Amino acid sequence: MKKFYTKLIAVLIIISLLGTVIAGCGSKTQSEARKKVLKVSMGLGEAEWKVMKEDIFPPFEQKYGVKIEPLQIEAGDLIKKLDAMHKANAMDIDIITQDNMQLAPLVAKGLVEDLSQYRDMIPKEVIPSLVPVGEFDGKLYFMPYRPNVEIAFYNEDKFNEYGLKLPTNWDELLQVAKTFKEKEGIGRVIIKENLGPDSTVQMFDLIRSAGGDPTVLNDEGSIKAFTFLKELQPYLSPDSKKADWNTPVEYLAKDSVYLVENWPYTANVLVEQYGKKNILAYHGWAGPVKESHVLGGEVIGIPTGAPNKEMAIKFMEYLMSKEVQEKLVTKLGWPSMRSDAYGKVAEWQKPYFEAINEALKHAEPRPNLVYWADVDKAINGALREIIFEGKDIKTTLDKYHNMIEEAKKAAESK
Amino acid sequence: MMRKIDISEKISNTAYIPIAIIAAILMVIPVYILFMTSFAVPSDILKPHPDFFITRFTLDHWKNVFTSGNIWPPFKKSFVVATMTTIIAIIIAAPAAYVIARMPSKIKYAVVLSLFFTRMFPDVGIALPIAVQFIKLNLMDTYLGLVMAHLIVNLPFAAWILVGTFETIPKDLEEAALVDGTSKLTALMRIIMPIALPGIAVTAIFVWLNSWNEFTYALYLTISDRTLPLQTYYYVQRGGIFDSATYAAVLTIPVMLVTFFLQKYMKSGYLAGAVKG
Amino acid sequence: MSYVNFVKKYKLEIAMILPLLLYILGFTVYPIIQTITLSFQDQYTKAFTLANYKEIIGKTEFKQAFFNTIALTFISLTLEMTAGLVIALILKRNFRGKGLLRSLMLVPMGVPTLVSGVAMTYIFGLNGYFNAFLQKLRIIELPVDWASGGFKTLLMVSIADMWKVTPLVILLLLAGLESIPDEVYEASNIDGATVWQTFKYVTLPLLKPSITMALILRAIDAFRIFELVLVLAGRATPVISTFAYDEYNNYANAYTSAAASTILLLIIAVFIVSYLKIAGTKEER
Repeated sequence: MKKFYTKLIAVLIIISLLGTVIAGCGSKTQSEARKKVLKVSMGLGEAEWKVMKEDIFPPFEQKYGVKIEPLQIEAGDLIKKLDAMHKANAMDIDIITQDNMQLAPLVAKGLVEDLSQYRDMIPKEVIPSLVPVGEFDGKLYFMPYRPNVEIAFYNEDKFNEYGLKLPTNWDELLQVAKTFKEKEGIGRVIIKENLGPDSTVQMFDLIRSAGGDPTVLNDEGSIKAFTFLKELQPYLSPDSKKADWNTPVEYLAKDSVYLVENWPYTANVLVEQYGKKNILAYHGWAGPVKESHVLGGEVIGIPTGAPNKEMAIKFMEYLMSKEVQEKLVTKLGWPSMRSDAYGKVAEWQKPYFEAINEALKHAEPRPNLVYWADVDKAINGALREIIFEGKDIKTTLDKYHNMIEEAKKAAESK
Repeated sequence: MMRKIDISEKISNTAYIPIAIIAAILMVIPVYILFMTSFAVPSDILKPHPDFFITRFTLDHWKNVFTSGNIWPPFKKSFVVATMTTIIAIIIAAPAAYVIARMPSKIKYAVVLSLFFTRMFPDVGIALPIAVQFIKLNLMDTYLGLVMAHLIVNLPFAAWILVGTFETIPKDLEEAALVDGTSKLTALMRIIMPIALPGIAVTAIFVWLNSWNEFTYALYLTISDRTLPLQTYYYVQRGGIFDSATYAAVLTIPVMLVTFFLQKYMKSGYLAGAVKG
Repeated sequence: MSYVNFVKKYKLEIAMILPLLLYILGFTVYPIIQTITLSFQDQYTKAFTLANYKEIIGKTEFKQAFFNTIALTFISLTLEMTAGLVIALILKRNFRGKGLLRSLMLVPMGVPTLVSGVAMTYIFGLNGYFNAFLQKLRIIELPVDWASGGFKTLLMVSIADMWKVTPLVILLLLAGLESIPDEVYEASNIDGATVWQTFKYVTLPLLKPSITMALILRAIDAFRIFELVLVLAGRATPVISTFAYDEYNNYANAYTSAAASTILLLIIAVFIVSYLKIAGTKEER
């Protein structure tokens, strides 16, 4: 009996060892097969993936005889996964599209290839402001792909009910917020204050439209912006501190918030999924000096050690081509990175598309700083202390300005 | 002698029923909300004061979810991983627990406490190093990789419950068998294990539920082959309220089935030993 | 007994315990040590330094996170243990529908925390069912912002956590309750003790080991609370886990994140050790 069990255990151990070996082996034959596959990672909703799989991928697959394997990975998770694969020396993704506000960690950790030698691939019809965002330290790490910008979504019924016009400047914004609060007892306008990347974007808009520089943080424009926000605060929706890129969609859908700036995909969810017809969008409001919206969007990158790099480069070129860019406009309502790509947008998407294009006219990219994390921390720290803790504006901004300065010095001395 | 019926007895005799009912309702409410939302007509929910008791129903969301076919691979993956994790966890933890249960008391206490040391670290701290190790072993997107990750989380817990179970089995039983001339191994398999079976069943249920439910390691260790919780979260982020509610409801169904059918094994005597240790 | 003999005699036992030990050592202890080492490394030079700790301890957010974590844990533990005890006592009785109640009690255990978090936002959100309920009963007029920070936010998160976790407490306490022999109750009955007295002087002391185990088990998880806080309260109410997560995720600083995680480990260890010392270790029968 004992012999039987001993044999059994031995067999089990051998099987599990074999299993691990098999899992890891076969790499030789695998690498040829691997070249026939292009693993592409993007962060998209289901409807968007449908367009990719049906309209964008097949022509490329046919032309080059490869199979494209789509991977759904959100921007934040992408950094983690690339990091893990890179550390394990087992990069398995060939090409990525990434939110242009989450690029610095990828470069800092050495997770993407230097694409400077392919700079000529960028079409000359590209909108110039889209290129610098992919450059770090003079090297090109990312190719432009699609610009994006937040637009101001509003509840048409509620604006009509109280006879309000869409705010075009700060005074009007304050008025609108006040009116909603007075009539309904609770704030209905959101300014994102979630102390994360989303509130950074919001503060960028406010500071820049007052003529300030968010990386300086204690200049005149910044002080004006924070003063205004403090004045606006009592009339804002309490959900402002939970507003990220995702929650506003629900707030709008449930008619609990009537005005909030968010990314255009919001319209897709509201209209296609929820059938809400009363939420429209416009380009937003200006500050005392100008109108400014952070230029978001996505860029294309190639992970370090990508198994199928040559094919990835070809795909990169393909995505930037006129033919693909026009499809992105028509099928997805995405504004193009090329000035020569025209397309007819679906009927229901027209108003949102117009809003996007109007907002893009006032779009400014964020600077690509190595010490970006510290800027982010400073802005949110100032937001927390001034708005939530009621501290004095000037002294707090001075403090955080110094924080940024120190980080800048530390980065430059390296 | 007649025992007086005192106030506290009266209170506890009458109060327990309403308390039990309220508790049961509270336990069920969140799940009810998920199910209800998944069957609701959108405009009944998408308003400032959503209905709690919906009067109109629709099967649209469920139809969408099942016809899109996106739900089966994650369902299968979660199911297989949970089951495999449970089986392997028992195979590893049960014998070890038996040994620990027979250790001298002070050592045993130390071992058990140190098992918990591993649970005292926040996941965010170790998920990455573990993920890196696993990726090096080529375990990304594999069932095996996820099982191994789930084992990390569940082995200490399983071992702890099983130590308690084995402790309630008196040593005399084995000793009697040994006296009769059977080998240690046979005594273990033929005599002890059957008695420990209910405790093992309880452990199995816990492990299965934990694994079915698990999110963090799945996030790190999968690229294209998502588990059901990950898929549900995708819809929570990108999809609408109704898709995610439906997925969440589907996620809960096996749980309710498993707990309902196996709850008779939850005779808590098997946990009693764990507690005494 | 010499080493060799020891191994020979116990080779079966060693074989049985080895997989568990190796697994835990390799896959948990080792990564934890890796992370702790990380916390003592300088971000750029990799030299040994306490800078990471100094940096985070100086931050207001961390101090808030520290306070919130400890406050949350205490509130959660109190609520869970009380509710768990009450329900366990109820389940000890025999009544129709006991089986049904028992299976209903287990349902929360199988729902992923993230999903339960989402369901909780439907309940505790500004326009959620709870506010609607309170408004219907005219207890409040305007919806309450449960997430605005302070005690009510901690309370909200505790209740949400409680939902998921009380079943485990119930099972553990029930196990302890059922292992108390009936004779003990009969004896106290004969002595004429009231239900309350029986509870206080007989049940509770005998239940102490169960309570201790449940408390320790729950404390370990309560200190580490993470997803629920993110989903329900956002970053305005940080806890140590979310702080560590943000440091790593948003600020790409694995070192300070590791430092925060290590501090959490210390807090938990200190709590457990002090609790055991105060409450006494083994049962006294």
